[in-house]
Amino acid sequence: MYKPTVMAAALALVLGLPAAVQAQSNPELDEIRQQIKELKDSYESRIQALENRLKQAEETAAKAQSAAAAAPSADTQEQQRAQAPAAEAAPTQQASPNAFNPALSVILNGTYANFSQDPARASVTGFLSNANTSDALGQRGFSLGESELTLSSNVDHLFYGQATFAVVSDGSVSVEEAYAQTTSLGHGLTVKGGRFFSAIGYENSVHAHAWDFVDPSLVQRVFLGDNYSDDGVQLTWIAPLPVFVEIGGGLGRGANPPGTNRDKNGIGAGTLFAHVGDDIGSSGSYRVGVSTLRTSTDGNGTSIADLDDRTATSNRFNGDTQLYGLDFVYKWSPEGNPKYQNFKLIAEWFQQRRSGDLTFDDSGALGTGPATEAFSLRQSGWYLQGVYQFHPEWRVGLRYDQLDEGAWNSGPIASVNGVVKPDFTPRRYAAMVDWNPSEFSRLRLQFNQDKSQLGLTDNQIFLQYIFSLGTHGAHKF
Amino acid sequence: MRSLSKFVLGLAALMAGVPAQAALSIFACEPEWAALSRELGGDKVSVYQATTALQDPHRIEARPSLIARTRSADLLVCAGAELEVGWLPVLLQTSGNNKVQVGQPGYFVAADFVNKLEVPTVLDRAQGDVHPYGNPHMHLDPRNIARVAQALSERLEKIDAASATYYEARYKDFDQRWRKAIADWQLRAAPLKGMKMVAYHKDEVYLMNWLGMVEMMNIEPKPGIPPSAGHLADLLEKLHAKPADVITRGAYQDSKAAEWLSERTKIPVVMLPYTVGGTPEAKDLFSFFDDMIDRLLKVRKAQ
Repeated sequence: MYKPTVMAAALALVLGLPAAVQAQSNPELDEIRQQIKELKDSYESRIQALENRLKQAEETAAKAQSAAAAAPSADTQEQQRAQAPAAEAAPTQQASPNAFNPALSVILNGTYANFSQDPARASVTGFLSNANTSDALGQRGFSLGESELTLSSNVDHLFYGQATFAVVSDGSVSVEEAYAQTTSLGHGLTVKGGRFFSAIGYENSVHAHAWDFVDPSLVQRVFLGDNYSDDGVQLTWIAPLPVFVEIGGGLGRGANPPGTNRDKNGIGAGTLFAHVGDDIGSSGSYRVGVSTLRTSTDGNGTSIADLDDRTATSNRFNGDTQLYGLDFVYKWSPEGNPKYQNFKLIAEWFQQRRSGDLTFDDSGALGTGPATEAFSLRQSGWYLQGVYQFHPEWRVGLRYDQLDEGAWNSGPIASVNGVVKPDFTPRRYAAMVDWNPSEFSRLRLQFNQDKSQLGLTDNQIFLQYIFSLGTHGAHKF
Repeated sequence: MRSLSKFVLGLAALMAGVPAQAALSIFACEPEWAALSRELGGDKVSVYQATTALQDPHRIEARPSLIARTRSADLLVCAGAELEVGWLPVLLQTSGNNKVQVGQPGYFVAADFVNKLEVPTVLDRAQGDVHPYGNPHMHLDPRNIARVAQALSERLEKIDAASATYYEARYKDFDQRWRKAIADWQLRAAPLKGMKMVAYHKDEVYLMNWLGMVEMMNIEPKPGIPPSAGHLADLLEKLHAKPADVITRGAYQDSKAAEWLSERTKIPVVMLPYTVGGTPEAKDLFSFFDDMIDRLLKVRKAQ
């Protein structure tokens, strides 16, 4: 390119100058003109030739490239190998100042609910209700559910981080989960730290928007306060086996029910868990788990109320809680392709042991003023649910919940105050159908017959929407 | 004491994941990449194929068995371009395997080495489950497989340097056979040029692009959205006005909609293997393309 430009400039200079003296006409000048014309013609033809050669070179290069891309043959192979990295590098580069923003997803959810009994007063008879889950059943009529905002990303080459903020309809924001975990330890080891859903049970570590029913199971509600999360650390190890074997444990603050917040150094809660899972043929797969959680209330500060909110006297529990869980998940789909049809069966059983003190505001006939006495409980409960997707867009599900009030060990003040084992088995039946026009939207209708309160039957109807915006979420098994 | 120290040693060996055989352990997300890994790795690798041709690779459960296999993998070979976005991240996060995390030599996605088609200019879920990094079904153009093969063999040489010459020799052999096969397929598939096709999902785009076929429309109204009765009626009307030559569906896709359309339009429907194992004939990468072209040619020649 350089040479022709220089030549053209020189030519222009040569041609431009004589124009000024064109008026003069003599044979000498004519001769010069003639020579210049020849020169000009010769240069023009040479420039033309150069331009043609350039054009040809460009064309053949393009042809070679497209030929190499379109029909690689043995002789263009080497050429293509050389070209390939350069040619392919371009599409993978995506330069943008936002390129490092974490993956972002927003869950919108809301319900319309009908309760035949007052949901604000719903406490499961014979089970200690946790002060901050008193409105666990939600509100009557239209209400906005928790809107969730999740950010996640690899922190660097060593860590992965994720945070989920929940905005409740009254405007308060809570940090549902905010944790970082290692990606670099290897040997099947992962350490997680921050606030996260405890690995106890199965349903507990599933976010509310991914539940198969509007509400959590009864065991989840009475033993784990809907979704038990804790601030702490957790270690998991996966065995190097073709079968899935995972064991792990965690230490935490224990601030949430069944524990309480505390003003103490040290550890407030501990968990241990083990999971085993595998495929059964090409269509089925399962996971079974055992887990335990140990925590306590802080005797100097908060405690748990109330064992039975229908008696006039309120009572508070202070002491240790040990929870044992068994969980089972089985999923089936034809040839392992869940898109058109699939079935999911989940069962969980929990036993909770509590021992400590029960403090009454009023000691009743035995005296006046507050009184405390030793108290212990061993209670259990389970649920079984099945969800069948019979069409790419439609699912139906059934769930049965049952609790066992178990063994009570209480003293005279409790019996004077009417806090006695009620001889009652709380149960609940649920049926749901949901429509999923895409992977990102779900509309659900659910009926519950809730017989978890002595002498009352609460018929509940829910209409719920769940929409997911942003990053395509990946769900756990 | 001796038995105790034996136990501790055994446990340590278990923790370190010392495998019984020294072969490089490959976790391949899809059958096509499992087949390519076998071609290039030979008996120096053991390949675990995570999904089958009968499963929709977009919709896979992050099953416990997959987590267990990810945990012990030395190399992950997947399509990428968000094809596995619904399940692979869970496997990576729970496996506790540092070797196969994003950015490590053990993380290999084919999409990094291929020019992708249909990279959307507008990203909106109203357009269905679109892939922001382009169409991820790249393996349906054998020229893409040639590119991925080169990159994969280089990766194998890097991870398992002791067998580098072995991998290089296998790659050279494969590459030669593959390029010859491509030339043969192109020759044989010449009659398919201009063939008008109705595909179930937008997963045959690379095939059509390669062979010069024409995509008329898809049975899915939007990627990932199953067809409604209204959409099918609309397709029927359009096909009556402007007929196509063939209706195709993959092995893992619903046959009802395709057959319903075929019955009413008299346009033949053909099931394409989509990947290795999708039909009894598609046993490896070579027979997979053979079979796909055979099936299309059969329809073409009957017309």
